[in-house]
Order: sequence, then structure tokens, then C-alpha cells
Amino acid sequence: MLVKRDTTALQNLYILEVLKGLWITMKNMLFVRHVTIQYPEERRNYSDRYRGMHYIKATNGVENCTACMLCPTVCPAECIHIEAGERPDKEKYPVKFDIDVLRCCFCGMCEEACPKDAIKLSKIYEMSLSTRKVYDKDYLLEQRGHK
Amino acid sequence: MPKCTIDGREVEFKAGENLIEVARKVGIEVPYFCYHPALTVVAQCRMCAVEVEKMPKLQTACSTPAAEGMVVRTNSERAKQNQKSIMEFLLINHPLDCPICDKAGECDLQDNSYKYGDAYMRTSEERRTYLDLDMGPVIKKNMNRCIHCTRCIRFGTEVAGIHEMVAVQRGNNTEITTIDGRPLETDYAGNYADICPTGSLTLKDFRFHKRAWMLKKTATVCEGCSKGCNMEIHQDNNVIHRTVPRANPEINKYWLCDEGRFNYHYVVDPKRVTAPKVGAERSTWHAAVAEAKARLHGKKVVVLAGTDLTLEEAKLLQDFVPKAFPGSALLHFGTPGIETTAKDAPADKILKRKSKTSNLNGFEKLGIKPLESMPAADAILVVRGGRAQLPKVEGLSNVIGLGVFTESESASFAAVLPGTSFAEKDGTIVNYEGREQRLRRAITPVGQSKALGEVLMLWLHSGAAKEAAV
Repeated sequence: MLVKRDTTALQNLYILEVLKGLWITMKNMLFVRHVTIQYPEERRNYSDRYRGMHYIKATNGVENCTACMLCPTVCPAECIHIEAGERPDKEKYPVKFDIDVLRCCFCGMCEEACPKDAIKLSKIYEMSLSTRKVYDKDYLLEQRGHK
Repeated sequence: MPKCTIDGREVEFKAGENLIEVARKVGIEVPYFCYHPALTVVAQCRMCAVEVEKMPKLQTACSTPAAEGMVVRTNSERAKQNQKSIMEFLLINHPLDCPICDKAGECDLQDNSYKYGDAYMRTSEERRTYLDLDMGPVIKKNMNRCIHCTRCIRFGTEVAGIHEMVAVQRGNNTEITTIDGRPLETDYAGNYADICPTGSLTLKDFRFHKRAWMLKKTATVCEGCSKGCNMEIHQDNNVIHRTVPRANPEINKYWLCDEGRFNYHYVVDPKRVTAPKVGAERSTWHAAVAEAKARLHGKKVVVLAGTDLTLEEAKLLQDFVPKAFPGSALLHFGTPGIETTAKDAPADKILKRKSKTSNLNGFEKLGIKPLESMPAADAILVVRGGRAQLPKVEGLSNVIGLGVFTESESASFAAVLPGTSFAEKDGTIVNYEGREQRLRRAITPVGQSKALGEVLMLWLHSGAAKEAAV
């Protein structure tokens, strides 16, 4: 349905109206505090409790993980897959430690359940990739965390 | 019947029953470590101590027979304090390495510690440690976790009939070991891992495979011999990880022999034929059935059925054979030398029997004749469940295998139609004394394997088979 608007001839010229609009834009640009930042040059400081990319903590180059399977047990997304094995310097260690990060919901329960302080969620949030990646043990063992 | 009072409840009991058993009747749990219903009572762990009226000290429930009018309190302050102290005492030297330990999740020490122990520990001393010697192919020992309940020593002398485990040294230095550190000799070594209340003795076969709480359990029956021991299959994701005995006081009590315990390996054997085969080539069900039918069509056929099949499968074959191959014989095979139940006898004084298949008795009840010597035939159809020992069929052409075979067993076969093993089907087996027991399906058939009934349906209702059957 067409609605007939009662506009004056001056309004129909649009010059004044455009200037009015521009004034609002300029006011916001010059006098109002910005809420956005210049990412990636500028970055926000996140809380220490932020739950980002996973990693396995290592002590003296040896992974803390003993493959006790508490994290796959507690994981609500069922995205952790571990295979346990034995080697001379460690009675039980993870031969395979895969996190299907596409399924992960970053709830942090694995970190909470871990008795060995091994699995951690770091503050890293830039996780987008051009391929579908399952985090394997080598990738997780890169010490990228701060915790 | 005499009566006694436990925690304010009147319980009837039979003379000679101990307080743990009497309390269990009314659902009252008395914690214990060293007590086992099938072994002698030693009252060593002191965990089961309860308060009995008119007795000055706490009494161990396992070694105290119930008496008329006895008044017992299992959860009085003194009893509770004792449980707490015993738990603390046992944990002084326990390494608390539950994340590594295979027993975690089904461990008596862990469970009782949660229920009756304290969450805090007052010791700061170093824990004693041992160097563990190898104990043979079945059991892995970790002496650090031991609480000296001596169940394993008693199991060896009283059930397995071999005194191979001993306790050496005294007090804090006590070490449970085999004599001279020899490997275990008994054929029932797997039970050591079952009765151990901690993770001191664990199965090498199951080591680090799965945590106990991840396993799904199916109650079934062992198919290792004609004894028919009750057991549980533990699987996860359609992979069998272990089998454990299931208590049945009338057959196997609490035990299982190693042969039966590790028998499941053939189900997940990578060499098992799990796809239809024509000659040495992988094929489709349609082509393999057609080939099998063409090979047997119009020839003098002998059908051999392994006595590891269930009663239901044997009956199916009994109906199928006269239909598909009129006038041919259906014979059973299983253990060489043990063709009839009359020849079946105990192989040792504990559980094992000479017939190494589960259903010899059932086949005899159905009136199927045993294979004494190979009759003259142009073609042979071998049906088996995986356990029965194959008769000599090498050199014969036109041998069709239906059931569970490995690649090497079926190398000379004209065609193989993969069937199901005992873990993949429901059915009835009849043990040596005529007891009918149910096999339960624990996992879905591996690969393209099909149940016998399905295969016979394919056989009768596809293509040329229809003419042959009618």
C-alpha cells in the first residue's frame, strides 16, 4: 500500500536533510567514545580465566598427561580421544591424544577434571583455519599457554 | 530359624553364617578387603570390625558367626572410627596412583576410601617402594599398591591348588611374591587380578586398554569347554576388551580359567575372515552364495557342523540340510578324540573339561551324529562358530566354509561365508550336565558377518537355489 507523506518543498530538495544526517555522523565520530578497536593492531586484554585453544602442559620436556582418561570421561562433547601406552621412562603415557576441536564447546571441564595439571585451555582465541583440523598430540604439546 | 539383630533389624540366619553375609541379607553393607566368600577367613584387614553387644572389643564381622539373640551395630561411633583409622592405615603406603592404575573404577580400596575414609592424610613420611619381578604372561604385579590382604595366597592354595604366592618379610616390609620370583604356573592366573582388592595384580592382556567405567557389560556364558562357566563380556565401541567371571555357585563359583578368559581374541582377530570370499578373492554376499551353491549343486554333499554352534543354529541346520541337499548327512565335529559326551571328562580338578566346545551335549540331544571318519563326498559344507577344531579337509575340492574362520584355515576353501561368533549372537547352549544356558549378544557382528539364519535364508531364496531346494 502506498502511503502518501506530507513533505514540504524544502524537504524534497534533501540538502538540509542530508546535512542533518551528516551532523549526527560527525557528532558520533568526534565527540562520542569509541566502542570498537583497531584489531589486529590493537588487542583487548582478556581475563586469565578465558578458555581458548587447548594445550598439554609439559614439565622438563615430558608431558604431564598420564592418560588417565578423566577428560574424555567428563567431556560433554565427547571430542577427546586418548590411547594409552607404556614406555621405559613413564609407566603410562598417551600414545595418541586427539581433540576434535570442531566438536569442542570450550566448557573447560577437561581442565577441571585433570588430576595431573596436564590439559589446559590457553588464552589464544585466534583458531580459525582453512582446513578442518583435529588437534593431535604434537600440536597440543607446543607450549603456547600462560597458565 | 535363629534370629539376631543388626542395626536394629531382626535377621534370620542359618547356623554358621558370618555377620557379613547375615548383614548383606537385609542390605546392610559391611566393608571388607581380605574376606572372600569362596576363601577361608583370616580376618587380616580388620576393616569389617563391628560392635557386638556384651563384647568388650570390636569383633571382625567376617570371622564372627552370627548367634541367637546377638545384637550387632555396624555403624556405631566406635565402628566408624575404626573404619576411618583402618583406611588411613592402609593408605600410609598406598601410592594413590589411581590415574595410572587399571583397577581404578572397580577398586575396593578406592570405593571404601570414598565411603569410609577421610579426605585428609596426616602422614608426611616417604612411602615404601619395591622392585617388581615379572610374573609371567598373564599378571602384572605392582607391589607398591598392595595392602597385604593375602587373598591371592589363599586363592592359590585353596582353589588353584598350587602354593605359588607367598608373603615374605614382616610388618612394614611384607612383600607378596611368588616363591623365588618364579613366573606363575597355574592355568587360573587371571583370577588373581579379579580377587585383588587393589591394583597390585592386574591383567597384562587388559593393561591400559580402557578404564573400567567405560566398559559396557553383557552377561553371557563361556564357550571354552563343556563346563559352561558364567562370564561377562566387557566391550566398548563394538570391541571386546576383556571377559571376567560371573559368580554362579553351581557351576564356576567365582572363577574362570585363562583359556576361557582369553578365548575372545579370535572374535577381533585381524586375520578373521569378515567378508564373503570366493577362492582367495574378496567377494559380495550375492556372488559368494551363488558360487557356494553352484559348487554343491547336484553333488554328494556332507554337512559338518561344529559343536560350538548354539542349539538354535543346530536345529536350523537340521531342517535346512534335507531341504537343500536331500539324502546328505549332517555330522558334528569339535574336539578330536572327544566325539561323544561319554568321552568327555574333567580335564583338571577345578573347572576345565576335555571337550573344548560348549554345545556337544546339545548336539547329542538333537540326535546329530558325530564325525568319526571323513565319509566319501564330492563336496563339503563346514559350519562352525570359531572354537571347534576343523577336521582335515585339505586336498578336497569344493569345500565351503560358513561361520568364523581365519585366513589360513580357509585358504583351501572354495568359498567362505562369514558367520557369527559366540559374542555376536543370542542362543542356547547345553553344558555337560544338561544345564541349558543363554549366550547373549554383546557386540554387533564384525565386518559383513551374518547370522546363520540370515545366510540360510539367502541360500534358499536366491536365484538357482530355489530350484535346488524344491
